[in-house]
Amino acid sequence: MTSELIVFIVLAIISVLAAVGLLSSRNAVYAALFLILNFATVAVLYLMLNAPFLAIIQISVYAGAIMVLFLFVIMLLGAERLNQAAPQPGLRWQRPLAIGLGALLLIQAAYVFITRFNSTTVAPNLIQAGPMEIGLKLFGPYLLPFEVTSILLLVAIIGAVVLTREK
Amino acid sequence: MFGTQFNPSDLLAVAPEIGLTFWAFFILSLDFLKLPQLNRRVLGMLSAIGVLVVMVLATVLAPPADKGAVLLGGMIRHDLYAYVFDAVFIVAGALTCLLSIDFKPVRAGGEFFALVILATMGMCLMASANDIILLFLATETSSMALYLLAGFMRDTPRSAEAGMKYFIFGAVSSTIMLYGLSLVYGLSGQTGYEKIAAALTAPESPHMVGVFALLLVMIGFAFKTTAVPFHFWAPDVYDGAPTPVTGFISTASKAAGFAIMIRFLLYAFSPLAPTPATQVWVAMMQPVAILTMFLGNLLAITQTSVKRMLAYSSIAQAGYIMIGVTALAYAASRGEVNGAEPNAIAGVIFYIATYMFTNIGAFAIVGLVAQRAGGDNLKDFSGLARRSPYLALAMVAVLLSLTGAPPLVGFVGKLFLFRSAVDENLIGLVVVGVINVLISVFYYLGVVRAMYVERSPNESRPFPIPAVTGWVVLITSAAVLIITLVSTPFWDLALAAAKSLQTILN
Amino acid sequence: MNTVSPYILLSAILFSMGVIGFLTRRNAIMIFMSVELMLNSANLAFVAFAHQWGQLDGQMFVFFVMAVAAAEVAVGLALIVTVFRSKKSANVDDLHQLKG
Repeated sequence: MTSELIVFIVLAIISVLAAVGLLSSRNAVYAALFLILNFATVAVLYLMLNAPFLAIIQISVYAGAIMVLFLFVIMLLGAERLNQAAPQPGLRWQRPLAIGLGALLLIQAAYVFITRFNSTTVAPNLIQAGPMEIGLKLFGPYLLPFEVTSILLLVAIIGAVVLTREK
Repeated sequence: MFGTQFNPSDLLAVAPEIGLTFWAFFILSLDFLKLPQLNRRVLGMLSAIGVLVVMVLATVLAPPADKGAVLLGGMIRHDLYAYVFDAVFIVAGALTCLLSIDFKPVRAGGEFFALVILATMGMCLMASANDIILLFLATETSSMALYLLAGFMRDTPRSAEAGMKYFIFGAVSSTIMLYGLSLVYGLSGQTGYEKIAAALTAPESPHMVGVFALLLVMIGFAFKTTAVPFHFWAPDVYDGAPTPVTGFISTASKAAGFAIMIRFLLYAFSPLAPTPATQVWVAMMQPVAILTMFLGNLLAITQTSVKRMLAYSSIAQAGYIMIGVTALAYAASRGEVNGAEPNAIAGVIFYIATYMFTNIGAFAIVGLVAQRAGGDNLKDFSGLARRSPYLALAMVAVLLSLTGAPPLVGFVGKLFLFRSAVDENLIGLVVVGVINVLISVFYYLGVVRAMYVERSPNESRPFPIPAVTGWVVLITSAAVLIITLVSTPFWDLALAAAKSLQTILN
Repeated sequence: MNTVSPYILLSAILFSMGVIGFLTRRNAIMIFMSVELMLNSANLAFVAFAHQWGQLDGQMFVFFVMAVAAAEVAVGLALIVTVFRSKKSANVDDLHQLKG
C-alpha cells in the first residue's frame, strides 16, 4: 500500500464522516462547520491531484467566503435550531424514498466506476497547474467564460442588494 | 485557440451579448442620476428600445456566416440558428420590459430592467454555446437573473416564495447537470461539443457511463424546458412570479432551454454515430413528449386561476415542441440531415417563435385583468367582452392560437410539428398530439366563455387600459395575425437557421 | 496511485449524500448546504478527471464553478432572508402559499 493511498483513505473517511455530520446535524451552525471540514479535506485531495491553485481557492473562497456567508446568515436570522417537527402526513414516504434513490444512485455510480474506470490510468506527463498556467488559460481560450463570470457576479450583487435593502 | 493571435473581429460574433451587457450597465447607471424625469416608464422604454437597437446593430455588423464559425477559443458557434434564437429572446425581453412599466406591484427601478436585459444576454449565450463550460455558465447566468426576477416582489410572500422555489430546484437541477458534465469530460477529456462526440463514439469508450452522464445532463435540460417529470416547479413559480416575468420565463427561458438542448444533443451526442447514449436520448423523447402534453393539459382543466391554467398550458406547449424534437431525433438517427431533420428543427424554431408572441400576449392580458379586477380567477374574466371589447378580442386571438385553431399561427406551427412527426412515421405521437389539442379546447374556451357569455355586476364600470400595456397587447396579437397571414418568410428563415445547425453533421 | 478511480468513487459517494440531504431536510438553509456538497463533489470529479487526462481544462471548469457557487450563495441567501422576513421560518413546509 502506497503512502498516497493511505493518506487518501484517511481523508476520504474524514470527508464522508463530515458529510454524515452535515446530514444529521440538529443545529445549522454545526452543519456549516461540518461542511467546512468536508471542503478542507477536499482541498487536500486537490493538492494530491496536482491542483495546488484550486486547493488554495477552495480554502479561501469556499471554506472562507462562502461558508462565512452561510454562518453569517444563519446567525443573523437566528435560525440555527432546526425544529424537528414530525414530517407532514403527505411527506412521510419521502424520507425512505430519498434514501432509496440516493442508494440507487450510489450503487449505479459505484458499479459504473469500478467496472469501467479501473483500467484508465493517469496521463504520464504531470501538468503544471500554478497560478501562472491558470491565468494564461483564463486570458487565452477561456476569455469569454471569464467575462461571463464577471456578469454573473454582477447579477448576484444586484440581486442581493435589491432583495435585502431596507425600503 | 487564440491567445497568441487574438483576432478582435472575433468579438463581433458575440455582438448581441456585448451590446446587451453595455445596455444593462447603462440602464443601471441611469439610476445614479436621480433625475425625476427618469421614471420607470422612461427606463422601461429605454430598455426595450435599446435591446431592439442592439439586435439591429448586430444584424448589420455581424451577420452570421453561412456555414457558421466556431470562435473565441471554441466557446461559441456563430450561426444563423443562434441568431434567430437571439432575436426571439431579445423581442421577448423588450416586450417584458414594456409590460413591467404598468405592472404596479413590481417596484421596477433600473435594477429590474437591467436584470431582464442580463437574463436575455445569458439566453443569447446559451443559444450559441459550443462548449460545456459555456453551456454551464450561460445557463447559470440567465437562471440567476430569473430567480431574482421571480422573487422581485419581495414584499409579496407569493413572489418571494416563487423566487425561493425556483432557486432551490434550479440550483439542484443545474448541480446534477454539472455532475453529468463532469462525467462527459471524464469520458472524453474534451469540453468542445464536436471533440466530445468524436471521443464518445470511439469503440473503447465506456458506453454505460456515457448513458449515465447523458441522463444526468438531461435533468438540467428537462428543468429548463419544463419536461415531465421535472416540471413540478413550474406552476408554483409561474403563479407566484410577477406576471410580466412569468411571461418571460414561460417563453424565452423555455426557448433557451430547447435551443441549448438541441445543439448539445445533436453535436455532442450526435445520432449519426450511434452509441448507447444517443440511442437513449432518441428513444426517451417520445414518452417524455406524451407525458408532458397529457400532464400539462389534464391539470390545466382543473385550475380556477387563469394564470395557473396558463402555467399548466405552458407545460403542455413544451410537450408539443417536444413532438418536433422527437421527430428531429428520429430524422437525425436515420441520417436524413438534409431533408427531414432541418424540417423538424425549423418546425421547432417556428413554433417557439410564435408561441413567444402568443403566450406573452396572454400573460399581458391576465396581468391587466388581475390588476383591474383584483384577481386572476375565471370569474374575474366574466363580462370582459362588454367592459373592454378589444381586450377580449385580443385574448380570444391568442387563446385560439394557443389551442391551435385554424387558421391562426398556432395551428400553422402545430401543422409543421405534426408533419415532421408524420414524416418519421410517428403516427401514434401525432394522434396523442391531436387528442391533447382537443383536451386543451375545453379550458381555453372556458376563458372565452367567461368573457363573452357570463355576466358580471361590474360590467358597466370602465376598464382603462394603460397605454404601454395596450401597445404590447396590440403588438402581440398583431404579430399572431401577421405571421398567420404571411408565414412563408418566417418559415424560410427558420429553415435556413435549421440548416445552419445541421451543416456540422456532414 | 496511477488511477483516479478512488477519487471518482469518493465524489460519487459525496454527491449521493448531497442528494439524500436535499431530499430529506426540510430547512432551506440545510437544503442549500446539501446543494453545496453536491457542487463540491462535482468539482472533485472534475479535478480528478483533469489529472487523469493530464490537462488543465477540468481545473478551469472548477474555477468557473467556484465563481458560480459564490454567486449562487449570494442570491440564495438573499432569497432565504427575504422569505424568512415574511414567514419567520426557513422551513420549506411553511411555503404553502403556493399549492404545488
